[in-house]
Amino acid sequence: MYKTDDVAVVAERTAIDAPSCPQERRATLRPWVIGVVVATGSVAVPALTGVGWLNGPAVAAWRTVCLAITVQALPFLLLGTLLSGAINAFVPADLFTRVLPRRPALAVPVAGVAGAILPGCECASVPVAGSLIRRGVTPAAAFAFLLSAPAINPIVLTATAIAFPGNPAMVAARLLASLVTAAVMGWLWLWLGRAHWLRPAARHTGHQPGHSRWQEFRLGFRHDFLQAGGFLVLGAMAAATFNVAVPSSVLDTFSGSPWLSVLFLAGLAVLLAVCSEADAFVAASLTGFSPTARLAFMVVGPMVDLKLIALQTGTFGRAFALRFSTATTVVAVTASVLIGGALL
Amino acid sequence: MKRHVQAALLALTGLGLLHAALFTDLCLRYVKEGQRPLLIASGALLVLLGLAGAILDRTAPEGDGHADDHDGTHAHGHDHSAVPRVAWLLFLPALSLLFYAPPSLGAYTASRASDQAVKKEQHFGPLPATTPLPMTLSDFTARVRQDREQSVRGRTIRMTGFVTPAGKDGGWYLTRIIFTCCAADSQTVKVRMYGTPAAPADTWLAVTGTWHPGGTLGTRTAPAALDVHHTTRIAPPINAYTDDLPLTPS
Repeated sequence: MYKTDDVAVVAERTAIDAPSCPQERRATLRPWVIGVVVATGSVAVPALTGVGWLNGPAVAAWRTVCLAITVQALPFLLLGTLLSGAINAFVPADLFTRVLPRRPALAVPVAGVAGAILPGCECASVPVAGSLIRRGVTPAAAFAFLLSAPAINPIVLTATAIAFPGNPAMVAARLLASLVTAAVMGWLWLWLGRAHWLRPAARHTGHQPGHSRWQEFRLGFRHDFLQAGGFLVLGAMAAATFNVAVPSSVLDTFSGSPWLSVLFLAGLAVLLAVCSEADAFVAASLTGFSPTARLAFMVVGPMVDLKLIALQTGTFGRAFALRFSTATTVVAVTASVLIGGALL
Repeated sequence: MKRHVQAALLALTGLGLLHAALFTDLCLRYVKEGQRPLLIASGALLVLLGLAGAILDRTAPEGDGHADDHDGTHAHGHDHSAVPRVAWLLFLPALSLLFYAPPSLGAYTASRASDQAVKKEQHFGPLPATTPLPMTLSDFTARVRQDREQSVRGRTIRMTGFVTPAGKDGGWYLTRIIFTCCAADSQTVKVRMYGTPAAPADTWLAVTGTWHPGGTLGTRTAPAALDVHHTTRIAPPINAYTDDLPLTPS
C-alpha cells in the first residue's frame, strides 16, 4: 500500500508541477502537458536504463500475467461500473427504504439477497452502502448489502461458472456462503454494533437538485471506473508477483494440509485484493488447493481485502473498518468451511 | 487527477483495448479468443465515453461543487471528481498495450510449472495410418501413459511446440502452455526430447520421432518422451495457447 502511495504521489507531483495557470485557456492545455510528461517519461526511462531488464524472462512473464488479469477483467469492470453509475443516478433515492422490511432483523437478509441486483465490484458497493445509510436504511441491512453485492451478483456468478467449467456446485457454494456471511454480519451488527464507530459519510451520491442526471451518471461512472480500474491494476500486480515469484512447490506445502490451506488462501485473498469480478479466475489457477480452500478465497476476497479496508476507512472511519473486517474474515472462513464441506 | 486527464485516461484505455483486440492479435497473448468481442465492445465504449467526457467537460460549468481536487486533502474528499491517486496505475496497462506489449508466456513459465496431469481417457480409438503421425502433446502423453493397446509403439510421430531447456544437463522439453481463461491460470504440457541438442529456449519446432522406451508403455511408469529423428523450425503460431495438431505433415 505504501509503495503505491509513493508512486501515486510522484505521479500527482508531476501533475501539480505542470505550470499552474489561472486562465481557462491555458487550463485546457494541461492534459496535453501531462500527456507529454507521461509520454516523455515512458520513452525516456527505457531509453536511459535500457529495455533489457523489461525483457528478462521473469519480468516479461510478470508483465504478461499482470496485463492478462487486467485485460480480461476490464470488460467486467466496465459493465459493473456502468450499471452502478446508472442505478446511482436514475433509481429514486427512497426506493430502497420503501422496499425493505421495517424490522431490522428481517431487513438484513432481504438486503443481502438484494445485493444480487447490484452488479458491480466491491469498490462500487462501498460508496453505495454509505449512501444507503445516509438515506435512512438501517446500517445492519446496508452492511449485509455491502458484503453480498460484490459476491453474488450475476456478473460475478457468471464469471465463476466460466472459471470453473462443469462445476456448478462451486457457483452454488459461493452464492450460499456469501449470503450466509452477509446475513450473519448484519445480525452481528444489530447485536454488537455501536453507532459511534461509524463516521457519517459526507459522500454526495444519488440525484441532487440542480444537476442533470446524465451529468451525474457520467461523472459517477468515470469516478467508479477509474478508481476500480486503478485498484484492479494494483491487484493484478500483486497477483502477478505471487504467480511468478512463488514456485508451485511452496504452494504445495500449504495445499497438503486442509486446515492450513483454507487459512492460507483466505489470507491470500486479503493480500491479493483481486476484484470480485476477476477473483474466480485467480482461484481457478490455484490448482493445487482443495475446493473448500478455493471457496474460502472467493468468499473472503470480495468482502475483505486491503483495498476494501482502505475504502471502508475512507467512507466509514477506521474504528469501524478494522473491527468490521476482522469479524467478517472470521465469519466468512467459518461459512466457507461449513458450506464447502457440505457441497464440494 | 484533473478532469481532462480522467477523460484522456478513459480514451487511452479504450484505445489500448481496441489496439490489442481489433487492430492486432495482441490480446491472444493474454486471454482466450472468446473474450475478443467483449474487449472490442469495451474499447469502443471507453473511447466514446472518454471523448464525450472531454467535450462535455469543456461546456460544463466550473465550480459546481464538484471542483477538481488537487492534493487529496479536500475536506470531504470523496465527490465524483476526486478520483483516488491509485487510478494513475491504469495508465500502465493502457500504454503497455499500445506501445510495449509483453510476449506470450514461454519457457520461463513452463520450466517452473509442475507436471500437468493429463486427464484420464476412458477409451482410445485406433490411430490413423499416416506416417509421420501428427499428434498433440497432451494426446501423446495420454497415449504413452494410459493406452493399454500400446498403439504408439513403433510409430513415427510429429508434434509441434516450443523449446524449454531442462536443467543443466543439456536436455530439453517440447512444451505447450494452455489456459482456461487468461494467462494467470496457465498449465504446462511437456514431452522430454532425446537425441538432439536443445535449440534456444522459446524456439518453435516441429519434431518427428519415436517414443523413447522406458518403463512399461501404457502405464504410469512410461515416460512421456521422444527419440528425435528430425526437427524443423516453424513460425510461432498467432494463438500460442492451444495444444494444436501440427499442420499438414511435410
